[in-house]
Amino acid sequence: MTFIKDFVDVLSGSSISFLLLTSLFSFLIFFNLLDGRLRSKGGSVFIGFGLLFLISGIFIRPLLYLAIAYLVLMFLLANLGPRVWETRTGLIILVAGGGAFGLSMLDPQFYLIAAKPDNVPIVAMIFLLGFFTWVALRKAYLNDRQLLAGGIPWEKTESDEKLFTCPDLVYTEMLCMIVLTIVMIVWSMALRAPLEEAANPTSSPNPAKAPWYFLGLQEMLVYFDPWLAGVLLPTLIIVGLMAIPYIDTNPRGNGYYSFRERKWELGIFLYGFLVLWSFLIITGTFLRGPNWNFFGPYEYWDPNKLVPLVNIDLSELIWVKALGVALPKIWLIREMFGILFCLAYLGLPPLLAVGPFRRFYQKMGPPRYYVGTFLFLIMMALPIKMVLRWLFNLKYIVHIQEIFFNV
Amino acid sequence: MKPQEPIPHNYSMAKLNLIFALSSLFLLAFTGLMVMYDYVRGWKWFQLEFNRMQRERIEQDLASVGDARQKAELAALDASTRQREVELAGHRDQYRRAQDEYDRWEGRHYAADEDYRFAKASLDAKRYESEMASLQRRSDSARQQQEYAVMTRHVNDLQLTLQAVTRSRDAAKAQVDSWLARIKEVEDKKKKLTERSDLLNKQLAAVKTDTNFLVLNAPMLDFISPTFRIDQVVLPDLFVSVNFMNVPRVDRCQTCHRAIDRQGFESKKEAARLVTELQAKLDSFEIPVEKAGDTKDRITALKKIADAPYDTPNPFRTHPKLDTFVGSASPHPLLEYGCTVCHRGQDRATEFGRAGHTPMSGKQEYRWAEGSILPGPWDYKHRHWGFQENEFNETPMYPRQYYESGCLKCHSGQVSVDKGDRITHATQVVELYGCYACHKISNWRFTDLRKPGPDLTGIAEKTTPAWAARWIAEPHDFRSTTRMPSFFYQRNMVGPAVGASERAANIIRQNVEIQAIVSYLFARSTHRPWTPPGQGDAAHGKQIVESVGCMGCHIEQETVKDSTSGAMRMARRDDFPLERNYGFNLVGVGTKTNPGWIYNWVKNPKNYYPDAPMPSLRLTDQEASDVTAYLVLLRKPQFMDKPLLPVDPGALHELAKSYMVNTLTDVDADSKLRSMSRDEQLVYLGQRSIEKYGCYSCHNIKGFEGLKPIGTELTIEGSKALHLFDFGFIHDYIHESGKSEHVLHNVPSWVYNKVRSPRVYDDGRTKSYNDKLKMPNFHLSEGEATDITTVVLALTKDLVAPQKIAAQDSRSRLMEEGRKRVSQHNCRACHVVDGYGRAIASTIADTAFLPPDLSPEGSRVQSPWLFQFLKDPTVMKIRPWLSVRMPTFHFTDEETNTLVTYFSAKGNVPQFDTTRNVSSDPRNVEVGRAVFTMLRCAQCHKTVPQGAAVAATTAAAVPADTASLAPNLTLARVRLRHAWISDWIRRPNEFIPGTRMPTNFPRDAATGGFQSPLALAIDTPPFAVQKASLMKYFKSEEELRKTMGDAVSLTEYLRDYIWSLGPSEMRAASPAGEEGLTPVPQQVAPPAIPPLKSSRNRAGSPEAGGR
Repeated sequence: MTFIKDFVDVLSGSSISFLLLTSLFSFLIFFNLLDGRLRSKGGSVFIGFGLLFLISGIFIRPLLYLAIAYLVLMFLLANLGPRVWETRTGLIILVAGGGAFGLSMLDPQFYLIAAKPDNVPIVAMIFLLGFFTWVALRKAYLNDRQLLAGGIPWEKTESDEKLFTCPDLVYTEMLCMIVLTIVMIVWSMALRAPLEEAANPTSSPNPAKAPWYFLGLQEMLVYFDPWLAGVLLPTLIIVGLMAIPYIDTNPRGNGYYSFRERKWELGIFLYGFLVLWSFLIITGTFLRGPNWNFFGPYEYWDPNKLVPLVNIDLSELIWVKALGVALPKIWLIREMFGILFCLAYLGLPPLLAVGPFRRFYQKMGPPRYYVGTFLFLIMMALPIKMVLRWLFNLKYIVHIQEIFFNV
Repeated sequence: MKPQEPIPHNYSMAKLNLIFALSSLFLLAFTGLMVMYDYVRGWKWFQLEFNRMQRERIEQDLASVGDARQKAELAALDASTRQREVELAGHRDQYRRAQDEYDRWEGRHYAADEDYRFAKASLDAKRYESEMASLQRRSDSARQQQEYAVMTRHVNDLQLTLQAVTRSRDAAKAQVDSWLARIKEVEDKKKKLTERSDLLNKQLAAVKTDTNFLVLNAPMLDFISPTFRIDQVVLPDLFVSVNFMNVPRVDRCQTCHRAIDRQGFESKKEAARLVTELQAKLDSFEIPVEKAGDTKDRITALKKIADAPYDTPNPFRTHPKLDTFVGSASPHPLLEYGCTVCHRGQDRATEFGRAGHTPMSGKQEYRWAEGSILPGPWDYKHRHWGFQENEFNETPMYPRQYYESGCLKCHSGQVSVDKGDRITHATQVVELYGCYACHKISNWRFTDLRKPGPDLTGIAEKTTPAWAARWIAEPHDFRSTTRMPSFFYQRNMVGPAVGASERAANIIRQNVEIQAIVSYLFARSTHRPWTPPGQGDAAHGKQIVESVGCMGCHIEQETVKDSTSGAMRMARRDDFPLERNYGFNLVGVGTKTNPGWIYNWVKNPKNYYPDAPMPSLRLTDQEASDVTAYLVLLRKPQFMDKPLLPVDPGALHELAKSYMVNTLTDVDADSKLRSMSRDEQLVYLGQRSIEKYGCYSCHNIKGFEGLKPIGTELTIEGSKALHLFDFGFIHDYIHESGKSEHVLHNVPSWVYNKVRSPRVYDDGRTKSYNDKLKMPNFHLSEGEATDITTVVLALTKDLVAPQKIAAQDSRSRLMEEGRKRVSQHNCRACHVVDGYGRAIASTIADTAFLPPDLSPEGSRVQSPWLFQFLKDPTVMKIRPWLSVRMPTFHFTDEETNTLVTYFSAKGNVPQFDTTRNVSSDPRNVEVGRAVFTMLRCAQCHKTVPQGAAVAATTAAAVPADTASLAPNLTLARVRLRHAWISDWIRRPNEFIPGTRMPTNFPRDAATGGFQSPLALAIDTPPFAVQKASLMKYFKSEEELRKTMGDAVSLTEYLRDYIWSLGPSEMRAASPAGEEGLTPVPQQVAPPAIPPLKSSRNRAGSPEAGGR
């Protein structure tokens, strides 16, 4: 039992779980799990990744755990293939997830955090997110199978039928309303609103947490300066979401679930929503404890826990560590490499247009291509910075404290 | 048109209807549940329970009211009513006629009254009309005025008519009443008989759970006028901080504490206590005679409660100190002060946990918290209140043992809080033990106080390094009552939680630090030679020490008999009154210091150190020699036998370097240390260690002048948030005394355990040597620790409006400044001041030889006299029989003035007056003289000047006359206040309870007036002479007898007689007491670095040591 708890604690470490999720995600997208064509191409690359984790795991324990989890999950997925989308498998996953959660509630620390009245909705959110994602992908899988066989999506067959608004819609909506009201009443009686004493500016709670829907942003603050994580990135998220209909002009998949026909669109969206947003909220809610330190789900939230703060800037990494000289006095020279790196990153779209993204460039045309790729690159900046932090303790790529500009 | 194809429904309607029905039912049920959930509140249960309790009691009272005799009386009255009704029926016709007449007149009166009122209303309107007409110069103004005159006449007529009709109606009514009078008489009697039960019935109706009650308190209807309601008091000038602003307190405590301000719900124990207390007050005439009746009623009621078969549980009890708190006649009425301003807690909360109730012990916490799985009001019966620690509540209540912490919020400008014995004592403990020296407390009470430790700038003159090192290592071993705390070899250095190897290293390091501190102190010390004493007689010295008053401030006792076990054990500070801990325990003083120093110190302590707290007792050279001879015999040689470890050079190097590396690199530090000799290293480390441990906070040490105190500032410690207290890894620990103590997770518990065992929160922590906790161990007993915790918790930043702060007027300020001096100079060691003190009493067997009670001093003595006496007590010897001496304190003029002002303000008399020059009527003097003889005052009081000289010269030469144990009255005129003498003669026992002065004019128990025994005695044969001599002043015997019976006049005549004795001037005081300050002897250059063995030059010129 202790081993399993320890295993989960380590695995849920933000770097490990992020890597696991990201790799599984790309596994899902690139290898058309939906089609059950796993062994077709590149499967060996992923097995190779697993082996890499395994070998590094010999030296670093968390990576060993990652490798175990990765290989087990990959093995399961590869063997299950399309059977993942069967109702029975769905139920098994649900029961397994619920059971694991129920067992975990026996742990006092897990119970303390998960049963906090303001955390209960987030627990529900995990299950609801999983459920709805699964349902959507299952429907997409069923449609894709029909379409491959030359059939039509089931939404099409369904939309030919006609029904009265009243009672078929109105009545059921009213029933939903009543049942929801009951749920809300019971909820409000069972879990008392977590109202506290008057706020004291000189004694803030530890950890001080944003409302749950902003916890993703708060988590981003670990990796970026406030002007980026708090201003620029949220603005771009909103702008980007608004821009989607204008960038995504793919007419296929309109009005019905399909994965094959919108692999990239769905892949990018789900990655952004599930991994870069929801996953960060869940991390922020359950795994960030006092002093915003990371705590495994079974770990005691000790306010006295200390972790070393030894992050360094890219300039230090290059000038001091690699070149062995003191930092140049002029910031332009000092931060030269960082600035070049950023410019190169943002200058990628034209290069990609002739390189790997040639197909998109041709299909979307220059304006759509450039806007879309820019937004995609900004989105990917988050995981890239996260990985850089974990691998090299990198604090800032560009750190110009003279003009308060840090990236 | 083609008929439309029927569109099928997606769901079966029957099924949907069923779901709809079921879910609607569920919704209804859950809505009901929600209402119930909202309705069931803990405080309602308390109100219901309190109602039930009241009902039970009223019913019991009712049962006791209706006894058999009363029932019989009622029956008799009923019978007589009936009989009188029969009588009336016999005269029915006459009665009927009178009634008709009355009805008719009543009707006429109604009509006449109405006519008059209506006409008057019209008249008022007309007046306005006519006034406006004339003001606006209208053409009809003349007509209007005429009409007004007509109407006025009309109204006057109507008024006359009304008066006539009223008269006739009243006559008719009287006629009717005369028929009914006999019946009414009986009815009145009946009403009187049932008065009490009617009242009880009315009270019962108010607490009955009848239909009205159920309707008014029904869920959803209880917004109209519920009897269950939240009771609150709004306190606009007592604030609660919501961090961004201060808002008025709204105390809702009475919502559950129903009877807090109501008499009659005391616990049995409390009632019994109150009965004794009130009875004592009644017996001593403390309660005015006119209020005695009320008090007697109250005692009866309380006795009933004390004997009742039931006991009132909390939260329904009456406040135990209703005459001090909450009661409407008390100084802190509920409507003005509420509850939370003293008790703290969340003012607006109505739930047990949220209100901030704090348990006083782990046991109580367990009981409060324990409950059923589904906690609710049903647990309250078992007194489980569902306690939960509320980490967000920044002002939890004070636990029971610290209740008086709340006083200081408003009373911090006072030295003693009236009826706050605990907090007064606690602040005195903090003052005496010197907490303020290391911990800054910006609070009037704890500022401008001297450093609590002795001056160390001349330590080499006083003792040896060998003694000092052993003393610092463990002062407790030398004197178990010392206030000097133990800094070294404490639990975080050598305790069981420290590993064996670290412990061994720490022992070496601690020893090095001790030796280093000693080296520094002796290296920086002055080396004045002090004259050795002449030949002294130790036996006589002992007698002097025990009699002149040393024992007021000093203890000379190493062991005491334990009160519980009866076995002998080491003495503790709290075995003695606080005042006797002011000076050190004399045990071992001969081992500590040398005869030369003692001799000069007891001669005049100010010679050694000008700010020495010890006053001069004006010992003669021979007396001082005798005292010295005795004190050097108080030795404790076994203390010096304790082995002293040699200084370990490695540890010395390591420790000295640990400070140097703060500013130097490792290499530089090493080379600097190598360049220093071992003694230089020791002195360097000593300086650093004194800085580290903060020795300079309590002691004057050269080189540390003006440094900030070492400890955490405590000014608002009581408001510090819980999470800022470092509990370390401690929850249970074994105290040094061997007892296991539990640390609750609250501030009071943290502070208590911190002062009890200051290093305990280091248990289990890994810290470097210099980072370990440094607060020394004071070896506090549980009581002392509770006292200190009480004060620490009292220091908050809670805000109250200025008008609520106590003792802010200028008179109170003057008094409090004086009180502070009284406390600072330890006057209470010998005197009773403000009704308490006189610690020396335990060492003087005969109460006749105790120093005087100063409670009435201000109204007793003249300010000029008091000023001179305080400056130089030799100006007058009032009580020559006392062997205790009033010492010379060398007060400054300012201090003396503060004290004189304090006494006169406290006596509520003007500071200066002209009564000293009053000359009395010779007749009054003669009468007074006669009365003086009759009362045999001369048995104790002398009326001739002491010795041959004038009365007011120094009395020291006059041998103590133990036969006359009362002041010489020739001193009265220069000393006492004119008005006071007669008042004192009347009621000496009320001024000073237990005084030896007899009460010659006892009070009459009924009226409270004074009675004179001479009214009868004057006619008896023994006083025939006086009667004859007095007769020439009185016209008749009757008048003489009348005067002799008038106690007030007699005391005034006595006063006039006393006033006529003695001189009206006194000798002036010398500027700085009798002997003055001896100039400090010439300095002798100190040796460069004193080695650790005693090699002090004791020789000096005989003159240089002081007279």
